[in-house]
Amino acid sequence: MNQQLRKLVIKTYHVQDIEWSDKVGYNHHTLSLPKRTHADLLDHPHVKSLDVSLIRPGEDRQIYCIMDILPIATKVLGRLGDGITHTMTGVYVMITGADETGESVQNFGSSEGLLSEQLYRGRAGTPGENDLIIHIEVRLKAGSQILRQAVNEGHAQADRYVQLIREMLKQVSPNDYDERHTFVDQVRTGKPKVAIVKMVAAQGTMYDNLLLPREPAGYAGGKSVVDMEGVPVMLSPNEYRDGALRALT
Amino acid sequence: MGVGPSTKETSLHHFRDPLLDLFQNDEDIDFVGFIVSGTPQSNDEKDYVAARTGAWLEAMRVDGVLVSIDGWGNSHVDFAQTFEEIGRRGIPSVGLSFIGTQAKFVVENEYMQTIVDFNKSKAGIETTVVGENTVDSLDARKALALLKLKMRGKK
Repeated sequence: MNQQLRKLVIKTYHVQDIEWSDKVGYNHHTLSLPKRTHADLLDHPHVKSLDVSLIRPGEDRQIYCIMDILPIATKVLGRLGDGITHTMTGVYVMITGADETGESVQNFGSSEGLLSEQLYRGRAGTPGENDLIIHIEVRLKAGSQILRQAVNEGHAQADRYVQLIREMLKQVSPNDYDERHTFVDQVRTGKPKVAIVKMVAAQGTMYDNLLLPREPAGYAGGKSVVDMEGVPVMLSPNEYRDGALRALT
Repeated sequence: MGVGPSTKETSLHHFRDPLLDLFQNDEDIDFVGFIVSGTPQSNDEKDYVAARTGAWLEAMRVDGVLVSIDGWGNSHVDFAQTFEEIGRRGIPSVGLSFIGTQAKFVVENEYMQTIVDFNKSKAGIETTVVGENTVDSLDARKALALLKLKMRGKK
């Protein structure tokens, strides 16, 4: 007999268009976003600037190395792995980075170049051909692109922007979702027990991951795998599904 | 050497991981979850992490393990060590890794006989195209089918 341990409900909110606005909002499948300038970064020791822009389907542009691609998702009830999560579909965040002289944030090969040639669309980890991309370009102070603290701070600052969207997404009507999915962590008594070991980067700058951030695939509150010296950590299937692993590679 | 652009798993990949859907929904297995282990820099740390992973799996009394890695080169040392620690405990295992023509294993052992290569590029190389050489649902299904065979073989 199966024993249910916990349930995770993920509600999706589909985005068809994005418009610039002073306030973050979501109305009739249109996401409103501020083109924030992050003036408060000017005195930051490592981060020079953040530029937020939109890439529509079919658009192309030159990009610096891709630091991460992440979903916009937020906890509405419970913690990672149970309760309720709201997530947006049709739009994903892409963080790219370089220092102010144009040296990409990269280590073992760079994805700098023309977006259409450097991004394979439609994989689990990449937007599809018809998805919108919120492009956050992080520029670090000259030479900072090889410093762990600076690169991580770039991720953190980009995540502050994403958090503005998450805060709004917590407040959208719980009944206006497009899809609702329920995932169950369960014991299938008597069946062979199987585990997955995920081996992730833990060598240092640009070779790090965060575990269990406060928000799905977020930055704040996450524990660095490098700082933990790589020791194995157990995640339930639903914790993993709920964005417990944030890539900093 | 470590993780390149075409093999790295983004946060979005983890959020929509093809392995998870398959393993969580398969009624023939009792999927217990993920162990996330790092691939640290020094050999001492690599040994330490691999041994802890083996100890966890043994303590959980699992019947089979899938080991998936998005790095290669130096990270394949960690990969091999992890198979060694799982295999010496008598637990059947299957691996998922980028190999292609560029990432032949730098070290191997007797427990690394069933590895699914998720290279997708024609030349079998790190193409620097983000997402290109990453696990898809076909890779996941292959890996789980092989693991079921190995678990059955052990009985």
